[in-house]
Amino acid sequence: MTAVTGEAPATGSGVLGQPLDSREDPQLLRGEATYVADIDLPRTAHMAILGSPVAHAKILSIETKAAEQLPGVLKVATAADFTDVMPLPCIWIPGGVESHFPPHPYGLPGARPVLTGDTVRHVGDPIAVVVAETPRQATAALAAIAVEYEPLPVVTRADEALAEGAPQLHEAVPGNLNAYWTCGDKDRTDAAIAEAEVTVELDLVNQRTINSPIEPRGAVGDYDAATGEYTLYASTQGPHNHRFLLSALVLGIPFNKLRVIAPTVGGSFGTKGYLYPDMALVLLLSKALGRPVKWVDTRTGLMNSTVQGRDHRQHVTLAGTRDGRITAVRCTSYANLGAYPSTIGPGVATALMGRSISGMYDIGAAFCEVYAAFTNTVSLGAQRGSGRAEAAFLMERLVDRYASEIGMDPAAVRRKNLVPKEKFPYDNGLGWTYDSGNYQLNFDRAIELSGYADMPARKAEARTRGKRLGVGLATYVAICGVGPSTRMSQEGMLGGTWESANIRVHPTGEVTVIVGSASTGQSHGTVFAQVAADELGIDPATVQVLEGDTQKAPYGQGTYGSRSYSMAAPAVALTARKIKSKLIRAGAVFLGIPEDKVVYEGGGVHEEGNEKNAKTFAELAMSMWYGWGLPAEIEPALDETTHFDPPDFNYPFGTHVAVVEIDELTGETEVVSYTAVDDAGHIGNPKIVLGQIEGSITHGLGQALMEAAVYDEQGLLVSSDLTTYALPRAADVPFFTLDKTVTPSPHNPLGAKGAGEIATVPPAAAVVNAVVDALSDLGVQHIDMPLTPEKVWRRLRGEAQ
Amino acid sequence: MNGRPEQFAAQPNELLVERLRDGLGLTGTKVGCDTGQCGTCVVRLDGRSVKSCLVLTASAAGGEVATIEGETTRGGELSGLQEALRQEHGTQCGFCTPGMVMALGELVENAADREAPTEPEIREWLTGNLCRCTGYHSVVRGVQRACATARSAAGQEV
Repeated sequence: MTAVTGEAPATGSGVLGQPLDSREDPQLLRGEATYVADIDLPRTAHMAILGSPVAHAKILSIETKAAEQLPGVLKVATAADFTDVMPLPCIWIPGGVESHFPPHPYGLPGARPVLTGDTVRHVGDPIAVVVAETPRQATAALAAIAVEYEPLPVVTRADEALAEGAPQLHEAVPGNLNAYWTCGDKDRTDAAIAEAEVTVELDLVNQRTINSPIEPRGAVGDYDAATGEYTLYASTQGPHNHRFLLSALVLGIPFNKLRVIAPTVGGSFGTKGYLYPDMALVLLLSKALGRPVKWVDTRTGLMNSTVQGRDHRQHVTLAGTRDGRITAVRCTSYANLGAYPSTIGPGVATALMGRSISGMYDIGAAFCEVYAAFTNTVSLGAQRGSGRAEAAFLMERLVDRYASEIGMDPAAVRRKNLVPKEKFPYDNGLGWTYDSGNYQLNFDRAIELSGYADMPARKAEARTRGKRLGVGLATYVAICGVGPSTRMSQEGMLGGTWESANIRVHPTGEVTVIVGSASTGQSHGTVFAQVAADELGIDPATVQVLEGDTQKAPYGQGTYGSRSYSMAAPAVALTARKIKSKLIRAGAVFLGIPEDKVVYEGGGVHEEGNEKNAKTFAELAMSMWYGWGLPAEIEPALDETTHFDPPDFNYPFGTHVAVVEIDELTGETEVVSYTAVDDAGHIGNPKIVLGQIEGSITHGLGQALMEAAVYDEQGLLVSSDLTTYALPRAADVPFFTLDKTVTPSPHNPLGAKGAGEIATVPPAAAVVNAVVDALSDLGVQHIDMPLTPEKVWRRLRGEAQ
Repeated sequence: MNGRPEQFAAQPNELLVERLRDGLGLTGTKVGCDTGQCGTCVVRLDGRSVKSCLVLTASAAGGEVATIEGETTRGGELSGLQEALRQEHGTQCGFCTPGMVMALGELVENAADREAPTEPEIREWLTGNLCRCTGYHSVVRGVQRACATARSAAGQEV
């Protein structure tokens, strides 16, 4: 059953919303898709990067001569070779606060240099590169580069980095504090907490995790000396953003001299939208050597260089009445930005997290403060559900803690505090205005579907098998649809965040849709074809979709934050409407009737009441191509473009229920059932979204149960490969029970909300709530993630955290 | 190699995956990690699935190697397993997909001659292959569908 709370948008051919097979799948299943590592340009040379083996040190000297003489080596380069290259900038500086950054020319907040010359600040910090004839020769030569270090003290935790006497990372950043950022009403929140009948507090560690797309990153640079043009092939989720950042802000070359191509990209989940030194290096070295230069990362390299996620230490407080009415929530968070501000990391750690903490609840007072600090770890960035997952975790842990304190059922407390349907649009007091929602319907559906009422009996039954059963709820609101450009500028985002689409109708009636978005596995080719076909009333098989190449689409922003279907797809729909509108105007000319007598149907036009006076879509396309007989105000051909900048964000939401069983003997936690009811508004292709929801939940379960980036005291990433960093495997998860509610967003013509990663937001909270529920009779009020068997086993035996 | 003889001289330390990708241009086999964990490089050696990043090329001499390129001709009709995975959308970014297809082949090929594999058996079979996009669910459904189709074609009860 699917509960629907809104009308479906008017459709043409009716293919939108249908579970069409992904047209990308056959090529992927045959292993024929081309990823960066598969690109093989003639005369390609291969680059390897020397990363720092220590977390914090002054570089006293670098000796490269021995490496230069090794077989096959073409060039060894250090920071001294790139003194005229600007550092990689950060473009999301928390809005409205004083921020401290390492400097960048152009008055921008800077970030990291392409290679580090003076001080290394994390293990993996790139110091030198080798280019050789083969990848093995390049890697082998790294060992011959001699670097002399003077060790400096190391700090890897945000709270410790802010303490007096802590090691200092950047001269321009006093006390390692990038920004002190707040949102909400502090006075009102403090007062509500002071006056409250009940308050509960928790100290939470939202551990650092590694996104781990299965394809490591890679880049191929190809400079054409004849034209002065650069081509970058990269595993990127935002080729246009990378073009903008690299051309204007790093290399200082004209925009139209850089083409960025994203071939098939093997997963990203946020990490491949960031600007990394290797992207600039392959271009610079290609120019220097007159050959294409290729670099493909290793897994360990990825883990020591690609942005990592989450990483907040928080003290959180919730206030309420004895009868279950929440009156205030407050969060103090120490966010670990890593060694350098990544492209948008500081914004993720502040606005994306802080403005979301009140979730689906109607709370009178809320306040969040974030201390964003630099430490000797890999830079922080986005990760599937970024910011929103951290927010949902703290709120949903607090609600359970509160329910336990007042002796009320956690579901009843949640039900009582949901934002009522009639209050939308709803200002959450933290900076977001939720567009639409029917939270009660969604919540009740999840409670019913999960069999929540049967849990007491299931708990008793589990005990007879030596298992402790626990149930955990988590609700969430995820801000998506980034975004309204002006609003994002107020959040501190440099650059517009609109999305673009172009549609060309060819003379033979086939259609090409070109979007600025770029798939990292979301079957854009299938879904955008559905959108265009539906609007135009044509067969989606005749619609071709192009993306991922800045020479195909002139502009765009890319795929991030679950934005493509609520940003790029509306751009496609609006463009199709322009085409349709032009065909109606031209149709009047071709049919010799007034415009208001033209009926557009099934891709063609006919005269109202006279279906014989008609032109098919193909006939119209050919006529427009010829342009014969068109009046001056109607241009020939069909080629339209839209830049869609929505009036505001959109806010998907949902309720998840985790049921776990803990083995009394081993402490092992098994997720025995998982129910999720998500609301992403109108969905373009339910088959594709289903896969995204399932993958997202599994990702969230990974954080709850097994994933952690572990740094030792020296700042060494101990979990730096897949033997030491645990990802969920097929046997770690059951099939899920899934359903949806549908509340359209008023902020785009499709009524769409973000979908791709939203189901990553609540699982960690749901699972930890379930485990704490299972252990509650032992006095357990919280356990930090990941919930490894050892940790749970110790708690079962009464050990403190 | 996919039913055709290949003759070449391999370095003693050359890995089979390097030979496949760099030497023979068979780039359907992927490299996702450095430690034999991710399963994107799975091929079949003498009928058994192996991680080609853990096999020295020289040790495969005289053996029969099957890669994803041998499953179907370029652009050609999908195998039963591939078709079932397509119908269940058992792929997203597709990077882990060739390795999964090669790892699951044995399970599906024998499906007609034995009891249909249970869900835990399928999940166990998949533990050597990491996927970050799908969470495996659609892949498991794809295998169930492929086994059911194979059994049905052989006149077995599905």
